[in-house]
Amino acid sequence: MSAADTLRQDIIAVGSYVIVQRQKYRKLYKLPAENGGGNMLALGKERVEMSAIIGKPFWTTFKMIPTNSNKKLTNGKSYRLEEVHAAESLDDLKDLLPSGMDNRKITDDGTSQKLSTQEIMELREAGKSGREIVGSLIENSQTFSAKTKYSQEKYLRKKERKYFLYLTIHKPTIHLLQEIYFQQDHVKIGSLRMDSLAQILSYCDVKSDGLYLLYDSGSQGLAAASLLTRIGAKTSGRLVYLHPGNMAQTTLIRAMNFSNEQINRLSTVNIYSLMRMYYQDAMESKESFGSRDASGDSSKLVDPDSPEAQIQCNDSPNLLKRKHSDATVSSMVPKKKPKWLSETQSAVDLLKSCKVEGLAILAAKEHPLNIVKGLLPFLGTSRPFVIFHAYREPLQEVYVMLKQRCDVMNIRLLSNFLRSYQVLDDRTHPDILMNDVGGYLLVGYLVN
Amino acid sequence: MSFNKAKEYIEEGDTVILYLGPNNMHSIDVVHKIMNKKGELTDNVFQTIYGALKVPSLVGEKYGAKVQLSRGWAYVLQPTSELWTVTLPHRTQIIYTPDISLITYLLELVPGSIVVETGTGSGSLSHSLIRIIQPLGHLYTFDFHEQRASLACAEFEKHGLSDFVTVQHRDVCADGFGEKLNNKADAIFLDLPHPWLTIDHAVKTLKNSGGKLCSFSPCIEQVQRTCEKLTATGFVDLKTYECLEKELSVQYKSLPVLDLECLKHKRISEEAIDKVEKNEEDRRKYEKILTVTHSSSLPGHTGFITIATLPPVFARIIKTS
Ligand SMILES: C[S@@+](CC[C@H](N)C(=O)[O-])C[C@H]1O[C@@H](n2cnc3c(N)ncnc32)[C@H](O)[C@@H]1O
Repeated sequence: MSAADTLRQDIIAVGSYVIVQRQKYRKLYKLPAENGGGNMLALGKERVEMSAIIGKPFWTTFKMIPTNSNKKLTNGKSYRLEEVHAAESLDDLKDLLPSGMDNRKITDDGTSQKLSTQEIMELREAGKSGREIVGSLIENSQTFSAKTKYSQEKYLRKKERKYFLYLTIHKPTIHLLQEIYFQQDHVKIGSLRMDSLAQILSYCDVKSDGLYLLYDSGSQGLAAASLLTRIGAKTSGRLVYLHPGNMAQTTLIRAMNFSNEQINRLSTVNIYSLMRMYYQDAMESKESFGSRDASGDSSKLVDPDSPEAQIQCNDSPNLLKRKHSDATVSSMVPKKKPKWLSETQSAVDLLKSCKVEGLAILAAKEHPLNIVKGLLPFLGTSRPFVIFHAYREPLQEVYVMLKQRCDVMNIRLLSNFLRSYQVLDDRTHPDILMNDVGGYLLVGYLVN
Repeated sequence: MSFNKAKEYIEEGDTVILYLGPNNMHSIDVVHKIMNKKGELTDNVFQTIYGALKVPSLVGEKYGAKVQLSRGWAYVLQPTSELWTVTLPHRTQIIYTPDISLITYLLELVPGSIVVETGTGSGSLSHSLIRIIQPLGHLYTFDFHEQRASLACAEFEKHGLSDFVTVQHRDVCADGFGEKLNNKADAIFLDLPHPWLTIDHAVKTLKNSGGKLCSFSPCIEQVQRTCEKLTATGFVDLKTYECLEKELSVQYKSLPVLDLECLKHKRISEEAIDKVEKNEEDRRKYEKILTVTHSSSLPGHTGFITIATLPPVFARIIKTS
């Protein structure tokens, strides 16, 4: 990669995705394609005008400057951003003050703070810095100096969160995106915990020059984005990403700001279209013309028990719509092949030209069995597959099915225990909360 | 030469995995002659529980093929980093796939990354690092044990990976990673008894635009000292994890079902007696379920994985306290 490239990549550009960090809180934000109005980030009740970040390098820290200080606070405040060298820190405050040995003298009766809520509000409105406000809080606290060093630190952290108005802008990475989405609502990304995602990438043997096949119905594109990241920029590797809906989930693929060169090596294709075109070779484009571009709204999965799902399993996701649009299409002048059709065609061509080097299947809600049966024939021999599911039972069934075939070996059903630690002077211990939704992986190799 | 890209057929000089069972896999070199214990060249015949395999006969076989042994058969597979990790010759303790996966993920490695690793040890992790960063990236791996360094070097050569890796014999705690690597690395990985002694060197070696550092230590005291040092030298976002992989073994189980309902009623007629006999049968009824069993012995601890980020120079803050 040339120096200029590296430089360009590290600069915040219009139209790109960024990660905004305010203390421990992080959020994905898309900058508008043109700089101007409407560049507003919502942070809870607060609104931040983001234009100032454009052209700055990632990792730059900005101070949030109130722009409507005369308005009432409860209405939600607006801010603009001003670049600063670094966020101010409260760390030194704790060293300035004496502290107690233990908490025997501390009773919290709600009167230890002499400043009233009103007075604190006034300090904020007067535009005092977080440090100044916290300074006054400490001065007016009757118990602060009696607290132990540890609880003083805790107190400062808490106040820091409340009064500190700094943002740092980061470049989106798989790790950051996974963390943000998993914390917010892990179900949204198919409960794909980072250790499971990391193992999918390993067990799938992703390299920069291979062809990989992914089925994913529920990670917002996280799995595809991760595989594509591992395949790399300016390499020859390719990824076919199959999905069951009308539209693939691509939020997190877009969030990675991939270059065209890289994104062009990703084919996103509906699994029904692909299978039909692959096996019903001579299929005329006319037949399925409009079968998907007619709707194209939701990417949500159909509940497998609903009647709608029956239709989906039988044939196409839009059997009825297709009949309808077929008529329209044939009465029209032939127009350019829709994008999805040429994309399906090129994926079919790819899969016919060679076997894939790794297969990953992430079925968010649906049963993986038929998907595994359907996709294994695309995998090369001596090549690995990984199936992830949030539930164990469907993978057990897949395991039994695979055991009965004699072309699959070293099949293992895995699940992880992941725990994080607080590491501090004399206070190291496992984090109080852990997360037990790591899901299950079924891994193995295809042989002759 | 069978590690750098996926291939279809076995060629002379390849390293292949001979799969006899989930707990019986071997990596073997497909060469005609090997050195025996006495230092003489002999025909390369590999002994398995199912009989002998004339290794050169594998040349031309398809990867994934079933091969005949005198008393059974085996599969030959192309090695992946995962298969290599479970079959490699141990020269040290090694890191296994669950930890390797998390380490490489947290280091945010991509093709093209420049990575520094120490110590090389048995090269278990190195193979995974190289897999990810090739063909544009490079791994610089260090070990202060001369023989381990040279054996690893020979192994990379044999595996067709030497374009992507440089092995150096060096004490990194004392001598750092070398001037040549100043501001070159995207990521640094440490698996050493005293990781904290390398952090000052690591700061010099990571790019001015910042990078990641990951340390793997079995003991919490090591983690503690390393984290303290990392914080003091400007690293941020420190996280420490522990990850254990559990293998579940899928099995059908038959559970006897007891019929207690029939006991509530008195038997009266002939018919009822028949019924009772039927119930007796019912009592012997089994319900077949598909479930898993957990292992009674599994790794309970491997190591703590600490990940830290060094911001670009302009955003680094060294706290003085
Ligand atoms: C546990 S092994 C590494 C295993 C390796 N990660 C693997 O997966 O195969 C640790 C290695 O670090 C090396 N080592 C220890 N201290 C060192 C130092 N100061 N400089 C360089 N290498 C060192 C040892 O010789 C040993 O081979």
